Amino acid sequence: MNDNILEIENLHVRFSTFDGEFSAVNNVSLTLGTNESIGIIGESGCGKSTLSFTVMRYLANNASVEGSVRYKGENLLEKTEHEMEKYRGDRIAMVFQNPYSSLNPALTIGFQLDEVGMHHQKLSKKKAREATIQALELMNLGDPKGIARRYPHQVSGGIQQRICIAMALLCRPDLLILDEPTTALDVTTEAVILDSIKELKDKLNMSLMYISHDMGVINKVAEQVVVMYSGEIVERGPKNEIFDNPTHPYTRALINCMPRGGVVKEKTKLNTIPGYVKRRGAHEGGCPFADRCEKRNDTCESKYGIRQVGEKHFAACDRAYATDIPDTLKEKLSPLQQEVQSFDSQEDLLQVSNLHKIYGTRRKVYAVNGIEFAVKPRSVIGIVGESGCGKSTTGHMVSGLYKPSKGRILFGDTDISIAWNKRNKETLKNIQLIFQNPGRSLNPSHTVEQIIGRAMKKLANMNDAAERREKIIQILKKVDLGKDYLEKKPRQLSGGEQQRVAIARALSISPNLIVCDEPTSALDVSVQASVLNLLNDLQAETHAAYMFISHDLNVINYLSDYIMVMYAGKIAEYGMRDEVMNPPFHPYTEALLSAMPEVDPTKQKEPIELLGQLPDPAKKPKGCPFAGRCHKQVGEICEKQYPPKVQLSDSHYYYCHIKPTA
Amino acid sequence: MKYILYQLKKHPLAIVGIAIILFWLIMASVGPSLLSYTHTAMDSENQMAAPGEEGHLLGTDSLGRDLLARIVYGSRSILTVALMTSIVSTFIGVILGFSAGYFGGKIDTTFLRGMDILMAIPPLVLSMVILGILGDSSILSLTLIVSIAFVPATARVSRGVLLTEKSQEYVSAARIRGESHLYIMFVEILPNTTGPIIVEATARFAYSIMMVASLGFLGVGLQPPTPDWGMMVIENKPIIAQAPWTVLFPALAIASLVIAISIFSDFVSKVLIHER
Repeated sequence: MNDNILEIENLHVRFSTFDGEFSAVNNVSLTLGTNESIGIIGESGCGKSTLSFTVMRYLANNASVEGSVRYKGENLLEKTEHEMEKYRGDRIAMVFQNPYSSLNPALTIGFQLDEVGMHHQKLSKKKAREATIQALELMNLGDPKGIARRYPHQVSGGIQQRICIAMALLCRPDLLILDEPTTALDVTTEAVILDSIKELKDKLNMSLMYISHDMGVINKVAEQVVVMYSGEIVERGPKNEIFDNPTHPYTRALINCMPRGGVVKEKTKLNTIPGYVKRRGAHEGGCPFADRCEKRNDTCESKYGIRQVGEKHFAACDRAYATDIPDTLKEKLSPLQQEVQSFDSQEDLLQVSNLHKIYGTRRKVYAVNGIEFAVKPRSVIGIVGESGCGKSTTGHMVSGLYKPSKGRILFGDTDISIAWNKRNKETLKNIQLIFQNPGRSLNPSHTVEQIIGRAMKKLANMNDAAERREKIIQILKKVDLGKDYLEKKPRQLSGGEQQRVAIARALSISPNLIVCDEPTSALDVSVQASVLNLLNDLQAETHAAYMFISHDLNVINYLSDYIMVMYAGKIAEYGMRDEVMNPPFHPYTEALLSAMPEVDPTKQKEPIELLGQLPDPAKKPKGCPFAGRCHKQVGEICEKQYPPKVQLSDSHYYYCHIKPTA
Repeated sequence: MKYILYQLKKHPLAIVGIAIILFWLIMASVGPSLLSYTHTAMDSENQMAAPGEEGHLLGTDSLGRDLLARIVYGSRSILTVALMTSIVSTFIGVILGFSAGYFGGKIDTTFLRGMDILMAIPPLVLSMVILGILGDSSILSLTLIVSIAFVPATARVSRGVLLTEKSQEYVSAARIRGESHLYIMFVEILPNTTGPIIVEATARFAYSIMMVASLGFLGVGLQPPTPDWGMMVIENKPIIAQAPWTVLFPALAIASLVIAISIFSDFVSKVLIHER
C-alpha cells in the first residue's frame, strides 16, 4: 500500500478543433504524496490548467484523454459522471483564478457554502451553516457570521478568494487544487493568502497542487516543483534542487528572466526567451522547447525523454550548462548604459500640482486626492501601488483620457489639465499612452500597418503612403518585428508581439512622454522580460521620458529612475529609486517590498501582513489613509491628523508621522 | 471559406436552410421564364383544378389562375420587400443606435424613450396604421414602412454592441489620437461589430417576410394584381373546404422561407459570434 494520494501516469490530452488536433498535455506522469504540496509552473499555453481540469474531469467535449489519473488507487478517468460527484468538491476540491466569477452574485455567501455541506455530507440546514462558519473561521475571516449573510459583491476581491478557499475546504478534502488563485489579487493580499494556505495544509493534512506562472509564489507554497512546457513536464523535483540547480534550459531561462529583488537597469539586462509557446500537433515528437532553446543540438529530436538526474530530480534535458555551445547569457545581460544618470540640472518636463479626480456626483469617490510631482525629461518615473490607489487614473489624466476634477498638469509651459478633445495636436503627439492589454488596445479589424500608420498620418502629418510604409518598417524593426507583420491583424499575433506593435505605435511619432499603464502585467514572464528590455533600450535611444505604472515593485525597481508609491489616491513616498528602495521609509513601501514573493529559496523573508482593506474611497480621510492597516502605527495621531511631509533630500520625501531615526 | 465548410459539417441543418433559401432565390429570378402560365392568366375551364390536373402542377384557384405561377411571381415581391427592409432597417438602426450609444447622456435617453414609444406599438399594428393612413401599398412604401417598424429593434441591438466595444481600449487610443467622432464610430468600431449586426439583419429578413405576408393576409399589403402570398391565403379562404391546396401551398411557401431563413440566421450567429 503506498501513501500516494494522486498518481498520474502517461497522461495525454488532445483537443480536436477546426485547425486540426493539437496536444495540450503530453505524456505527463507525476505522483503526489499525502500532505505534500506540488507546484506546477509554466507560461500560459503550457497545459497547466488542462492538467488540473483533467484531474477534476472538467474537460470540454472535444478533448480526448489517454493514460490514467489515480486518486488513492482509483482511476478517475474511468468513473461515470455520477460517480465523479463523490470526488468533486468533496474529496478533491479546486479553487479557480477569478473569485468574482466563481461565486454566484445573486446568492448570499452563506447560502453558497451551505449548499456544499448539504449536498456532499447530507447535513441538515443548521449543521451545514455550522460547517460554513467553521470553514470561514479557518480562513481567519473576522466576523464569519456577518460575512455569511453578505453577497459576494459586498466584500473585496481578497476576501472573495478566501471565501472560495473556505468553500473548497468545507468538506475537508484530501487534495486541493489551486489554479492561480492569487494572480488576480494585489501582492499584499497574495502574501496573506499564501501564508494561510501553507498553514492550513498542515493543519488539515491535505495535499496541494498549486498552479502558477510565478516562480516566487511557487517558491512560497510548494515542496515539489514541476516545470511544464507546451504540455510536457520538462523538469520535476524538490524545490531547492530545481531552483539551485535547474537542469533543463527552460527552467534555467525561466528563473533568470524574472526581474528579481535588487536587479536594476544599469547593472544588467533581463534574460529573455526568444519566440513563444507554440501549439503542438497531436503526434509531434522531440523536445517542445527546441525551437526556443539556445543549447539545442542534434540530439534534441532523437534522444528526447524524461530521465533521472538526481535522487528525486527528473529532467527531460541536461544541457542547461552544456559547454559545446557557448553561454551567451553573460553577453546578453550586459546593459546599454552603465551610469546612473543625474537629472538634477534639468527642467521639469511635466509638473503636476494638487491633482484631483473625483468620480460621481452624489456618492463621491476620491480616486486621486491631491497629488503633486514632477517628471524630468529623459527619466523614468515608476508609479507603484495596489489596485485602487489611483495610479492608473493619474496616468490617464496625464495622457488626456480623463479631465482632472481639480489641479493643474503643466507639460513644458502648456497647461494640459484638460481632456483629449480640447488638447492641441502637438500635445496629443507628445504624450503617448501604452495600455495594459495589447489585445484590447489594438483595433482587431485593422492591420498593423493601418494601426501604426494612422497615428503617423493623424499626428505627425505624414501623408505620403509609401514614405509612411518605409518608416513603419523601420519602427517595426526597432521593436524586433519583421516586414511581414505589416499586413497582419492583431489576433494573428501573440501577446508579446501585440504589445510590441502598441509600443511601435507610441514611438512612431517620437513623443516626449510615454505613459505606460501596466504594459507587462498581461504578459508571461519571459515575454515581460523582453518587453522591459525593449522599453529600456528604446528609452536610451529616443530619450523619451516614461511614466511607468505597475503594481509590481520588482519591475518598477528594475526600470525606474524615480519611484512614486501611491496609496488611496495619495502619494506615500517619492524619490530617486535607490533612496526609496534601500531602505524604504514609509511603512507602506516597506510592506509592499516585504510582500513581493522572493524567487531565491535561500532568501525567504517574513512578509509584513497587512490586514484590513483599503479605506473607503468615498470618505475623505482626516488622518493618514494608511493608518487602518499600518503595522507601525504610532498612536491616535495617525487617525486624526494627516501626516506631515518628511523631506529627506531634494528629491526624496514621504508622508508619515514617524521620523527617520538615523 | 474552409472554416465555413467546417462549420457546415458541424451543423447539417444549416445546409437544408441554405438550400431552401437558394431554391426560392432561383425561383424568384428565373422561375417565371420556366412557366407556361403567367400569374394573371385565368384558365376559365379549369377553376379549382386539383394539383397535377390539366398541366397545373399545384392546381388552380377559384378564378382558374395557376397557383404555381402565382407563388413564383409572389416570391419576387416578397423577397424584394424583405431584403430591402432588412437592409434599410439595419442601416437606419445602426446610425441611430450608434449615435445614441456613442454620445450617451441626454441623446441616449431621448433615443431610448423614443424607441420605447415605437416599441410599445406592435410593429404589425404600426405598419397597418401607417399603411391605412397613406392608403398606398407599393413595394417601395411597404419597404419603408416595415423598415420603420423594425428600426427600434435594430437600433437597440446596434446600440448594445457599440456599448461593449466602446469600452475597449482601442477606442481610448483613438480618442487621445484626436480622431473625430465619425471616424471612431464607423472606422474604428463598426468593423468589429459586423457579426452581431449581420445576424440581426438576417433575423430581420425572416421577420419581414412574416410581416409582409401578414399585411397581405390582412388586406393592406401589396395590392392586386401583384401576387402576394399572404393575400393568396386570405382570398382562397372561402374555398378551403373544396380546394384545400389553394391555401396550403402559399402557406407552405411562407413557412418554408421563414423557417429556412431562421435556421440560416442561427447558423450565421454561430459562425460569426459564438465560435470566434
